[in-house]
Amino acid sequence: AMEAAGAEERALLTQRLKAAVHYTVGCLCQDVAEDKDVQFSKQTIAAISEITFRQCETFAKDLEMFARHAKRSTVTTEDVKLLARRSTSLLKYITQKSEEITSSNMEQKEKKKK
Amino acid sequence: MDNGARLRADGGRPVRAGGCDGQGPLRRGQEGPGRERRGAAGLGPILSPLCPGTSPRAAEAPRSGAPRRAGPRQPSEAVALAGAGAGGVEQKGAGRTTLLKQRPTALPDLDNETPRVMLKRIIRTQPQVSPLAPRISTHEETEEARSELPSRRVSSMGEMQLPDLVPENTSIAAFHMTKKRKKLSISEFERAADKRLPQNQGKFGKSSLPSSFYRSLRISLGSLIPPDTVEKRGLLRRPKYRKAIDMEAFEGGVEQNMLKRKAQDYLVDSQTASGIQTALLASDAEIMLSNTELFVQPQLDEQSQNKLSALEPQLSDSKTSAQRSKISAPEEARLAGLVSSVGTNKGRTQRYSKDFILDCEHIDRMSPVSPEPPANQQEEKQRHSQQSNPMEQLSGSEEVVVGTPEHHANSGYSEHLEKKLSKKAELEISAAEDARAEAEMAPSAEEGIAEGGVEHQGSPDAGVEAGSVGRRSHAFSSEKSGLKPLEEAVEQADDQADELEDQAITIELDGPEEEPTEDEAEDPESEGKKTIAAAAEVFAVSQRSPLQAKPVPKSSGASRRKTREPAVASSLIKKIFSHYVKMPVARDAFKIVEKCSERYFKQLSSDLEAYTTHAGRKTVEMADLEVLMRRQGLVTDKMPLRVLIERYLPLEYRKVLIPVAVSGNKVIPCK
Repeated sequence: AMEAAGAEERALLTQRLKAAVHYTVGCLCQDVAEDKDVQFSKQTIAAISEITFRQCETFAKDLEMFARHAKRSTVTTEDVKLLARRSTSLLKYITQKSEEITSSNMEQKEKKKK
Repeated sequence: MDNGARLRADGGRPVRAGGCDGQGPLRRGQEGPGRERRGAAGLGPILSPLCPGTSPRAAEAPRSGAPRRAGPRQPSEAVALAGAGAGGVEQKGAGRTTLLKQRPTALPDLDNETPRVMLKRIIRTQPQVSPLAPRISTHEETEEARSELPSRRVSSMGEMQLPDLVPENTSIAAFHMTKKRKKLSISEFERAADKRLPQNQGKFGKSSLPSSFYRSLRISLGSLIPPDTVEKRGLLRRPKYRKAIDMEAFEGGVEQNMLKRKAQDYLVDSQTASGIQTALLASDAEIMLSNTELFVQPQLDEQSQNKLSALEPQLSDSKTSAQRSKISAPEEARLAGLVSSVGTNKGRTQRYSKDFILDCEHIDRMSPVSPEPPANQQEEKQRHSQQSNPMEQLSGSEEVVVGTPEHHANSGYSEHLEKKLSKKAELEISAAEDARAEAEMAPSAEEGIAEGGVEHQGSPDAGVEAGSVGRRSHAFSSEKSGLKPLEEAVEQADDQADELEDQAITIELDGPEEEPTEDEAEDPESEGKKTIAAAAEVFAVSQRSPLQAKPVPKSSGASRRKTREPAVASSLIKKIFSHYVKMPVARDAFKIVEKCSERYFKQLSSDLEAYTTHAGRKTVEMADLEVLMRRQGLVTDKMPLRVLIERYLPLEYRKVLIPVAVSGNKVIPCK
């Protein structure tokens, strides 16, 4: 009973998450549609959100695998960079962002020290 | 001898019964039960053809149990040999049955016996070969082995009427046996039949039988193989239609092969080699057939030239800039460099084409080829330049990277080349090998550098490349001066050999782009060190030497000459691909497949390297591979790696990969 309840909870959570993703994808597609002057059908947005959700699941599994591969128990930016190396543009973008983050972290630390 | 006697008796029962031996029937009666007990192979085949045709019939009559067979042992043998086998086999089977049936029981016993038992019987009992008759028994035995039980009935029926209805029997037998008799080789049958034919004709009044039998057999079986020579062959494997080996033809073929190989290597890029190979072979085959010289003279050029020119455009179009660089930048043999550089320096080879006049045949062949590539390559270059400068630079950088080793070694190369020219034969062979090996491996050899290049090419992101381009252009000017002396040195050597010229061309071409490669190569270099040590070393050398502006050619040249870029053999790729596609594949398709597989393996190894670095190691371990396979989707939560190993790898590998615990606290392989 408890497992069933847990499963139900998970299913509910999944649904909510999917809904959130769907909403976000819809907003993004709207922006792109205005930008490029193209129309997005509902099915398209639904398909994109479904794909995004499944890909996020895959990403999570891969990230965990990478972290374990490095004998760590925390997923770090290194794992994320490894995940993104397939796509060079994405890798570059993520590297930039990670550098920004680290630099901002450093700045915060310096501020704290001060 | 007991067996022998028995056999003979069995076989000769009809014979003896016929009259050769008055005791035949008696023996039959006596031995019948005995035979059965022993499971004697009262095989028809063992029949000694001694007896005249009538004997079987006589033998038949006294037979109580199963009249069958008999018959005409001879005819039955002939039938068996003739093979429709149906009749012969059936008869044999029937003979067997009849023999077995010495006891008055009917067929059922045979039904109980399996072919295996019968075969055992046959094997146990030696075939009795009468000096007068050919070894038909062996044929019969083998045929019997193939016969099947169900056919016996039919054969037995046929036997009854055999004397008069041999053709019918044959047809019936054939009808029944055709399906099962397919294994029987008609030619063998007919040969055997032919053997017996003269004897049969002589011995039995039924000479017509065999001939008609054969005819009917042929008709029924649709065999169109004419009977072979009347040779006696016992249990030997038939030599089959083997032609006597003609030494001249053999040697001629060997020479042709050698020449073809040389032609292939010299005439075509590594990329095009496989594609043009068949064309070259086809065109050169005739010429080579008649030409027994060690080196083929320029006559071949026309044909090969035409084909090459036809193929070159196709190839060049299909090639990417990376390919061009790969082709143009073999790191080893200069001759290979000649081939590749020709491919890459299409734009510039025109003015050098006239210089391509060497005694070597390969050079002769090269000259027709060189004009072709230049035109094509120029177009390609233009196209590429239009596409994206970074792309071209990347490709050029790749070329340069590979070409830089050549540049550095130029001064040393000229000496090498001179020596080479003097030893044409050796050169050709080695160059052929090198060219081929390099051509195949060139792409893989560049992996260290090409990693970035390939990635860049895969996604020509202006932003990404712009940065790298900027870096490159910065160093570009500084490098150019350093390259000039190299070019001069190379050009000096041009007079001496084509290869030098080609290298010069390569250098000119690659000069401007040399620098970009360095920066590009630096990043992957750190990673590349782990994957392909040889390539990484070479690249490191090539990268550092331009910076010095005065490279040390000799050492790098000499060392580079021996190192081989690893690459998957194109023949292997062809075989595997053809096997899985189950259809004929065009040559160009093979090239594309090879490129794809190259790209794929490059990506794979770069991933592996990244995973290994991620784990802070320098050696690729099984864990890295498991991560890779998980990323590929081959290993999942449901499908562990171990199961994949067990399923797809041979036992030897499994033993190495999967530890097994045995008694005594022992684990194999020991960890």
